[in-house]
Amino acid sequence: MGLTASSPVVLEGENLTMRFGGLVAMAEVAFTLKRGEILGIIGPNGAGKSTLLNIITGIYIPSSGEVRLEGERLNGVPAHKIVARGIARTFQSSRLFGDLSVLDNVIIGRHTHTKAGVFDAIFRRGRAKAELDAAAAHAETLLKSVSRGLHEQRHRPAGELAQADRRRLEIARALATDPKVLLLDEPSSGMDDADTDALMDDIRAVCAQRPDLALMIIEHDMRLVASLPHRVMVLDYGQKLADGPYEEIRKIPRVQEAYLGRKAAQHAGA
Amino acid sequence: MAESLALPRDTSNPVVSALTVIAVQLAGALFLRQFLLIDDWRLVIGLLLLFGAALVLMERVPSLEARVEAAFARHSRLALLLGIAIVLAFPFVLEGNTYALHLCVISMLYAVLALALNFQLGSANIPNFATGASYGIGAYASALLALNFGVSFWLALPVAAVVATIFGFLLGIPSMRTRDSYLALVTIAFGVVIHQLLNNLEFTGGPNGLVGIPAPELFGHSFASPLVIFGQELPSQANFYYLSALLVLISIVFARRLHDSRVGLAWNALRTDELAARCQGINVTWYKVLAFAVDAFLAGFAGTIYAFYVGFISPDNFTFLVSVTIMTMVIAGGMDNILGVIVGAFLLTLLPEKLRAFSDYRILFFGVTVIVFLMIRPQGLFPQRLRRYGH
Repeated sequence: MGLTASSPVVLEGENLTMRFGGLVAMAEVAFTLKRGEILGIIGPNGAGKSTLLNIITGIYIPSSGEVRLEGERLNGVPAHKIVARGIARTFQSSRLFGDLSVLDNVIIGRHTHTKAGVFDAIFRRGRAKAELDAAAAHAETLLKSVSRGLHEQRHRPAGELAQADRRRLEIARALATDPKVLLLDEPSSGMDDADTDALMDDIRAVCAQRPDLALMIIEHDMRLVASLPHRVMVLDYGQKLADGPYEEIRKIPRVQEAYLGRKAAQHAGA
Repeated sequence: MAESLALPRDTSNPVVSALTVIAVQLAGALFLRQFLLIDDWRLVIGLLLLFGAALVLMERVPSLEARVEAAFARHSRLALLLGIAIVLAFPFVLEGNTYALHLCVISMLYAVLALALNFQLGSANIPNFATGASYGIGAYASALLALNFGVSFWLALPVAAVVATIFGFLLGIPSMRTRDSYLALVTIAFGVVIHQLLNNLEFTGGPNGLVGIPAPELFGHSFASPLVIFGQELPSQANFYYLSALLVLISIVFARRLHDSRVGLAWNALRTDELAARCQGINVTWYKVLAFAVDAFLAGFAGTIYAFYVGFISPDNFTFLVSVTIMTMVIAGGMDNILGVIVGAFLLTLLPEKLRAFSDYRILFFGVTVIVFLMIRPQGLFPQRLRRYGH
């Protein structure tokens, strides 16, 4: 299980271009993501990393090119339907429902797997309640599997959580949608080394439990990029600069320049 | 999953907590009775100070509030039955005071309107300034049916609610292209348009409104005649008292069931963060339009009862100011808290009536009172609570 050479492609992008008026935020980017694969995306600020995530999740509609999930075109599908098809995400600046409990946040992640509407809620309460209780039970199990500490805090308002737990909760909430592809936007931002290590362990555990889940991680923390992804894609000025294993990527001068600074890069090259 | 309570567990003696429930409910009913019956302004101020003191106590000693809350959670059935008994018995202790009964009816209709708006403002944070307009649409729709086609109250009630809901959808759809302050502007415009239409259309009676709306009848008993129960004669307002109480009960059931459902969660999600809500698979546009429709549905009900209660409606009953008042009730009472919204509706309906002694300074005093209460409890009198599961 997990990633093998014959794993099928689950998500792919082709010629993705995104223009905002005259500004080209992304130009002809192509990528593939295989089942069970972890793809890291790096690049300096403004390179188009978040734009790519927003295109995949339907928040932006690309000016040209297309995104396909298991061969089906996603362009123009509204964001909330893309979630139902199996793409979940987290946000760089955590966007939890801060005034709701931790558990409620995860239950909201079950939205696409529950059906009760206004009519059911009022006139078929038993059915609606059973469905929601099942979602709550599912959410509890999920929280426990992602992080015991988080599970113990499940009745606290999400807004009161510490930074590291907020990230874990965002991941748990995204996992509650039962995704095929999970997109993490800078999961370690604002964390110290110890928190980042714990986060990496949690992500590994999540992947071990779900060998078919494909992950795309935008990251700046090179320790994470070096150890977690199978493959790394480099974006720069909205274009794809490179795509390969970390060992190859790190030798590219432009990457060294971006992450180590120009002088250090020259030094490393010499 | 009994241990997964969000609230502190009530570990005290069950008898003590049951008595707490009974005492709190009776005290609340007694307070309302005295507040309705007294005329002397000094006593009014005294009662308001008492209410303020209770709020300060709740704010200063959260454990006390938590204890009362736990007692109610534990004895929810007792609380419900006693609550119903108090509501049923209440008209008998008002000494046949028709004005007090009238204020109860109006307060309850406003409670329904505030609960309706709470779906939007409280649950989903949609600033809808058109609840007064939906109220008016319900009132006019049912009155026109009764006057022109002889439709009975009981049939006009659901039809008017459906008409108001359709208008709610019509308002909801253009509103979805805007948000925040701009959304508020669209709803204000809608309210003004409805008011102007009612004022200028021929068939709505123009500024004179509609007169002579017949009182409802039930099993041959006209709602315009006194109500006799167990040999006790109650003024005719008592008919509408019980009718509005039933509507409040229905609204509470609606509100609770929706709040505790997937729909309520989706509304809460989009209230905090629309983008994050979309990325959990929530169709934000649909849920917002739905909130407009539910709001209009309940407001339409309230409008029908109002029209048949007073028998005469004019556009001035449904102005922009009515919408603002309803909004204040929700904010002051406590967003997304059913009890808070109802208390807010009663307080804001009764206060201006009880402050008549101050004549010219009435509205000023009213404003100051609301501000003071909100300074004591900035989150509203009864703030929002976290949900619990598995019970």
